[in-house]
Amino acid sequence: MERTTEISRETLLEWKKGNVRAFEEIVTVTRQRAYSFALGLVGNSEDARDLSQEAFIAAHNARKSFDADKPFFPWFYRILRNRCLNFIRSRARKREISMDILIEKASTEASPDTSMIRKENAEALWKGLFALSEEHREVMVLRCFYDLSYREISETLVISEGTVMSRLFYARKALYGILKDRFDESQMEGDDA
Amino acid sequence: MMGCERMETDGMRYLDGEMSLQEKSEFEKHLDSCRACREAVAQMNRLGILTRGVVIKDPRDSFWDGYWKSIYRRIERKTAWIFILLGGILIILYELYRAVRDMGELTISKIAIILLLTGLAILLASVVRERIHQRKVDRYRDIKR
Repeated sequence: MERTTEISRETLLEWKKGNVRAFEEIVTVTRQRAYSFALGLVGNSEDARDLSQEAFIAAHNARKSFDADKPFFPWFYRILRNRCLNFIRSRARKREISMDILIEKASTEASPDTSMIRKENAEALWKGLFALSEEHREVMVLRCFYDLSYREISETLVISEGTVMSRLFYARKALYGILKDRFDESQMEGDDA
Repeated sequence: MMGCERMETDGMRYLDGEMSLQEKSEFEKHLDSCRACREAVAQMNRLGILTRGVVIKDPRDSFWDGYWKSIYRRIERKTAWIFILLGGILIILYELYRAVRDMGELTISKIAIILLLTGLAILLASVVRERIHQRKVDRYRDIKR
């Protein structure tokens, strides 16, 4: 996923004035990241798309309170996160999480059996992530799938780096417990990372 | 699992490559003498193998079709509704004023029209007031970093 979400100060200032074209540019640059982060919180593609769009609309309505000298995404992420958390806590019917979200990083030559095990591991991992609390899942997703540094996670979630470490520790501990059976040697076949 | 307090801080930084070479070397020395940390690092490394082997699937290009248009339409529609509501209130108030001004003889139908227009004006004003109130209490209005 693209990590370069640089938006010029000029564009941000134009957007603050209400320029919709500038906002379109901001959305185009950040939509992939917004969708992916929402996906890590809500677990399925359709809701992640809807919530990321809602968050962009909310951000546009709140644009006057945005400081154009600061990066856009951490500010926006707080809006997105609130939307996602409200959605998770208020949804009347529990929608199933999509199970085909995680895919192998590199398709290497593997026997059908190994491929099946890897697919099952990926599904178990995704399911395991959704057995964690939102706070723990969030840091895991930001760190393990989007490779954000502690500083970036700390800025994005507006928490200290110490809290980032602590949440990662308990998230990993819990996830290891959930996936313990998977760590049988035979289950890890084909992994050499 | 994980009986040493260093695992929560240094252990995480070690696993996530957040340490300087000096810190890394110092922590590795600690690992030599701390069984709890050694076991914890081994377990979390296995978890790392699992997470590093997969990525979150990017949606196809077609997924983004209409993404911006949908956002734009909703922004545009909101503005349109505000204008419609304000216009509606003005028209109703003006018609109400005319109805009262040119009242002449009071008939059932005139009373009904006045009541209807008054009701509509109150209803639209209430919608506008609710919108304004919502905006005031909107949690996203004052979000600052």
